[in-house]
Amino acid sequence: MKNITAGVHMNERIPVNPGEVEWAGDNPGIYLRDSVDGPWTGLGIFFHVVYSNYGRGQTMIVLGAPNESLGYPQANNICMTNNRPLTDYLIRDFISKFPSFKGQSGLDAMTRMDVESHVSEGDMMESWSETMTSQGVEMRMQWQQLGQPFAVEVTPETCATGEHDMYSVFLEAKQGGISVNGKDLTGKVTDRLFFGKQMSTAFLAISETWVKPAE
Amino acid sequence: MPLKNPLHPGTVVWTGENPGILLKDDPDGPFTSIALFFRIFYSPVGRGTVLLLLQKPNEAVTLPTAANVVITDNKALGEYLLETFIGKLPAFATLPGCQSAQIEMMTEGYPEGDPRSCYKEIVRTANLDVELVWDGLGKPVALELPAELTGGKENELYSLLVESTRPQIIVNGEQLPGKPVERVQAGIKTTTAFLYFSETWIHPA
Repeated sequence: MKNITAGVHMNERIPVNPGEVEWAGDNPGIYLRDSVDGPWTGLGIFFHVVYSNYGRGQTMIVLGAPNESLGYPQANNICMTNNRPLTDYLIRDFISKFPSFKGQSGLDAMTRMDVESHVSEGDMMESWSETMTSQGVEMRMQWQQLGQPFAVEVTPETCATGEHDMYSVFLEAKQGGISVNGKDLTGKVTDRLFFGKQMSTAFLAISETWVKPAE
Repeated sequence: MPLKNPLHPGTVVWTGENPGILLKDDPDGPFTSIALFFRIFYSPVGRGTVLLLLQKPNEAVTLPTAANVVITDNKALGEYLLETFIGKLPAFATLPGCQSAQIEMMTEGYPEGDPRSCYKEIVRTANLDVELVWDGLGKPVALELPAELTGGKENELYSLLVESTRPQIIVNGEQLPGKPVERVQAGIKTTTAFLYFSETWIHPA
């Protein structure tokens, strides 16, 4: 929280965040590229929201051509959801501010579909997957070789949106992939620096709570 | 910022959801009906759903006399939570009904509703049809509690609290007796009926 300085003793942490809860749930992602320094060639992000001002719901966004202003079937830039108002809110206030998605023209051009089926599979010890289908299109995100979970607690200074406090549990996936209609997107999972820790660009982020700090 | 580094140095024990309903006939008396629900996404013994249901918390009985049971789809998880979590909560540890509760395998379980207005967890076994209802819901509050402010006093906690003022525990169509009472958590006046989402227990480094 903003009103506590860095490095204070753990006992001095404020137990009740005075800010306004935006949403809570899961928010795993997979970001693919051909080389560590190259542009993203494939982006996938999934939301399972259990609480928000726009209700509960699930959303999967896959950008097979992140920097192309094209929708499906010209490009695999697709969004599936069971709650469109929630998805609009997540895109406007969160996803479009995430560094990997910011300025990606595929995010504006992606084709939106109402999800017809959704399956989560795995144990979160070794692997996990999310699969959504709609209008004959199947999108699948897979996380493999999962590591041990660790808790993360960020402030606006370090948060992906630059605006929130956020609590989360991360599990790194050494391998991961995104497919559309059974065909893998190009690119591979690479390493990135995550708060000083080398970490894969495929990750589960679960039990998140995003809080707008008090003024 | 409360931590030097955003990466918490502790070890995640388990993470998931942990809503509950504890009811009393008399605000100064013992709890008369208890339901503590767990939807676990990650734990050392895997994922699953667990419901501790105590229809008669103060009696050392179980089915068919009373529904003092642990309903689960992961027996190892049910046993793990009983030993490492529920058994360390002062409100539960000494209850005769908790000690006599037998494990029942869940046949169906799912949430219903919206935690902004009215939310439910439905849990079924071969013999029990349980409906937990949280109505009269308040505004959500994000908690980050040090170990000393938690029931077990061993682990730190992240959680999202939504209080309920009109809860119900319904077993095979019958509403269990009692009402929620006031409690104080981390200085907040709240009730003994609560939703806890995005809950993570962390063993301090």
